[in-house]
Formats: sequence, structure tokens, C-alpha cells
Amino acid sequence: MSPEKSLRQQFADTMLSVGQADENLAVIVGDISHGILQPFAKACPGRFFNIGILEPTMVSLGAGMARVGLYPVLHTIAPFLIERSFEQIKLDFCYHKLHGNIVSVGSAFDYSNLGSTHHCYGDFALLKTLPGMEITYPGSAVEFDTLFRQAYNNDLVTYYRLPGTPHGVEFKASDIELGKGIKIVDGSDITLIATGPHLRTALETRDRLSENKMDAEVIYVHTIRPMDVDLVHASVNKTRAVVVIEEHMRSGGLGDEVLRETRDISDVRYASASIPDAFVTGYGGYEELCDSVGLTVDGVMSLIADKII
Amino acid sequence: MTEGMNKDLRRMIVDMTVAGRDGHIPSAFSIIDIITYLYSDVLKFDSASPDAADRDYFILSKGHGCLALYVNLHRHGYIGDHDIAQFCKKGGILGEHPDMTKVPGAEASTGSLGHGLSFAVGIALGHRIKKMDNKLFVLIGDGESHEGTVWEAAHIAANHKLRNMCVVVDWNQSGMQLLPEDDLPAKWRAFGWHTQEIDGHNPGQIETAFRAVADKETDQPSVIIAHTTKGKGVPMIEGHGMWHHRIPNAEEYAQIMEALS
Repeated sequence: MSPEKSLRQQFADTMLSVGQADENLAVIVGDISHGILQPFAKACPGRFFNIGILEPTMVSLGAGMARVGLYPVLHTIAPFLIERSFEQIKLDFCYHKLHGNIVSVGSAFDYSNLGSTHHCYGDFALLKTLPGMEITYPGSAVEFDTLFRQAYNNDLVTYYRLPGTPHGVEFKASDIELGKGIKIVDGSDITLIATGPHLRTALETRDRLSENKMDAEVIYVHTIRPMDVDLVHASVNKTRAVVVIEEHMRSGGLGDEVLRETRDISDVRYASASIPDAFVTGYGGYEELCDSVGLTVDGVMSLIADKII
Repeated sequence: MTEGMNKDLRRMIVDMTVAGRDGHIPSAFSIIDIITYLYSDVLKFDSASPDAADRDYFILSKGHGCLALYVNLHRHGYIGDHDIAQFCKKGGILGEHPDMTKVPGAEASTGSLGHGLSFAVGIALGHRIKKMDNKLFVLIGDGESHEGTVWEAAHIAANHKLRNMCVVVDWNQSGMQLLPEDDLPAKWRAFGWHTQEIDGHNPGQIETAFRAVADKETDQPSVIIAHTTKGKGVPMIEGHGMWHHRIPNAEEYAQIMEALS
């Protein structure tokens, strides 16, 4: 599986494969991805619904399907699927203690030029308030395929935030375990914790730091909840300096989780490379918006210069 | 069935409200006649096996009317005297909105309006996938019908021809206090539903309407729009006012019980 393969295409391929093996898998989409999901629709007749543009009800429908023992997969654009439909996720799934799968595209500012109506930077923060949620951010095709197969039929609601840009780092399926982070590179001076596409940013920052004789450890986190506390804690305890790099609002993201789980370690220097707690209103494309909020190698380097060194 | 036969259940609702120091009596009285008929004459269920795969589903989407559900679940053996006595008390399973994870026979945890119908449509689509033929009944309020999700779900149910689904609208005019230009029957017809309009306290009309739902030959989902009265059966609490969420004092309790004797 190519590390550059699109997450959305992998979503369609995984639905086809899992759906053929498990007749209880049902997929509901809100008028997106219906073209690439036609192989699933044809192979699994009656289990694909392009239900229309009514996201809160789409979520309730999925919960109703779970009530009769199906494994629902709900898929559309993050702001509508998570923020608009939050109460339906909270009550119809979580309060009912029902299981399900929520697969978004268009999180953070992946739909950059569509503006803030189509951005969603606060999904981790919102979903972390819900009992019974698992939150994943697979940054490559093999991660989505593996995490989905591990979680789709468990008793919880699992969120899969699919980025528009894979991180490009190659993993094997055997590397991926829900709730377990991955130490990409050992280091001793500073910990760089990355999630989603910014694993690439972390690795390039590490190269830059090594030119300055700084030895960075890189940890990759594909599961935001439950986070791999042991891995993160051990690394921060060793380096006593940490930068968390994530496409999420500063409030309530992975950085907050890292801070809370390492609060018992003294003298830790911390910095957050993330989206400020504000709307991102610029245009120019995904890379330009990353640049505008400092989610670049240069941005992380200057953050380290300001907050860590 | 004759009008007033549910006085025993109405008295029980009042007693639960007084003992639990909480409850929506008028909302329960508005729907008690319909729910009682459903459990007595329409729904297929086995209270010893609340999760039986072949059961019919009843979802009380306007969860604040739950006392009318609880007394029927008690009558049919889902819950016992102890549960009733523990209404709204620490350690009890019955609160002011039903909790599906606690109450046997409660098919959904409702309270936030506008969820029950969408949830039921998902169950109906799930049944279709599993090639099951269960019937679903959902009771919603007219005030609840302000919620957009009601109409999203109605749209889907009609387009997907969910013929096993029947909605009852408790049209007690609550919603029309705010939005008086509301023609609910026209709306449901426009959404493609098999639509009937009845007096929701008239036993003969209730029976005729549910028989028509059972005998319907189209693939349309059904809606019964029931003209009802909040607090029906006790004139002093009927209508829209302070009794919506009021606990009777001793004097009022005596007057209510006298009216229900």
C-alpha cells in the first residue's frame, strides 16, 4: 500500500473489503464519496445509502442501525458531521451506549479555500467530552485500513479523521495498533510529537535540529483517544522538552492531552505547534494556511527557538 | 374501550408525580389514551423478553410524557411496583425522561426533542437490511415538530418507502402557541405520508385509525395526527399554563383525584 495513497480512496477500498466479509457493515454518506463507493454499493446491495444533505439525521439513522446490530459507517465533511451533528453523536450513540464509525474528510483546513464554513479545527476537543468515543487520525492508507479493521465492530464509537494529505511515511500493518503510538526515531534532547500529516513536518524538523546538534526524538500518534500515555510520558520524562505538532485548535487537542499526562514531570519545556483559537480566514491553499499558522518546519523551528532553547 | 377507562393509569401518574416530587402530568394525560391502546391492542411484544428480535417498537420521542409510558410498562410487566415507587428517587431506574439503558421496554433515551423519529428511521432501515418486518411506532409532539430533524426523517422515510413505520403526532396545540400558522396534516401529506386525523382521546377513532394503518396497502409510512388536550381528564389542569411541570399540593391532589374517581 503506497504511503502516498489517498485516505479517501483507501476508505472506499476498505469498505468494499470489510463489507464483503461482514454482512452487518452498512455505509451512509452525505452526498460525498458516492462515486468511489460504487464498488461497495454494487458488492453489498442494500447496505449503501447516499442519504442526502441532512447530517444530524444521518447520525441518528446510524445509531438506529446500530440498535439492531449493524455496524454503521457515517461519512461526510467534518464540520457538518461533527460540529453540526454533535448532539446526535452525544445522545443517539454515546448516551445509548451504541457502537458506530464516523469517518470524516475536510477536517482542520483541508478545504482551505472554501473558508471557515468548511473548516473544522475543534473536532478532537468536542469528541473528547463524550464517553465511549475513540478518536483516530490515520495519516496514511495502511493506518486507516488497519485501525478500521481493529475497531469497526467493537462496542464504542470510533472517529476516523482522514486528512487530505498523507504524511508519506511508510508503515506496515503490523506497526499499527489502536491506542499505541509509534516511536519513529530515538533522541535525547527534545521530543517532537506529531499527529496526522505533520509527521513529515516533525521528521524534517528533526533533520534541521540535528544540524544544530540537537537530538530530537520523534513520536507519532494516530490515536488521540486513548492516547498512548506510557510512550509519551517516557519520552518527555527523558528529554524534558516537548513540541506537539497538530492540525487542531490549541484548546482541547493532542497538546492538551500531552500536558495533562506529563504534569507530574518537573521542569518540562513545552510548546504547541497548532491552530490558534481563532478562525483561519485566509486563502491560497492548504500549504499556505499551514504556513499562516506556523505548521511548517520553519514555524516549528522558530517555536523551539522561542519556547524551548 | 370507553372514554375514561384510563382513569386508573391517570391516578397512578398523579401519585408518581407527588411521590417523586417531579413529573409532567398534563403531557402524560395528553398521550395516555393512545399509548395505552398501543400496548393493549397493537404492539407485538413479550415483556419477559424485552429485546426479542421480532418485537414491534414503540419510541416515545417526546420523552417528557414518559409517565404515560411507565404506567403502561408497569401494567404489562416490564417494570415492577418497586420501580414505580422509586420514580425520580436515588437508585431508581425511572427519571423524568426514559433511559433506554435502564428501563426494560424503553426503546430509546429521549428528552432532547427531535431525535426519536430519526433514530426510528435508522432502525427501520436496519430492519430492511436484515430482512426483518418489525413494525415501528413513534409518538412525537406538535411542539417537537418545530425541530427540523423531524422533517429530515419524514423526508427519508417517505422516499425509502418505510411502510412499517407509523408516527403519532400528539397535537395538543402546544406548538401553536408560538407558531399558530401550522397545518400539520397538510405538511405530512406533502411529505408523502399516509395521513389520518383523529380525536386522540376518542377510543373508537383511535381503534379505527390503527386498523387503517394495519390494513394500508400502499408503501407509504403512516401518520396519525391526534387532536389531544394537555391534562385531558382533569379540567383544572387542562390546557397550557402553570400545570405543565407542577406538583399538586394536598388540596389540589384531592381535587384531581376527585375528578379521576
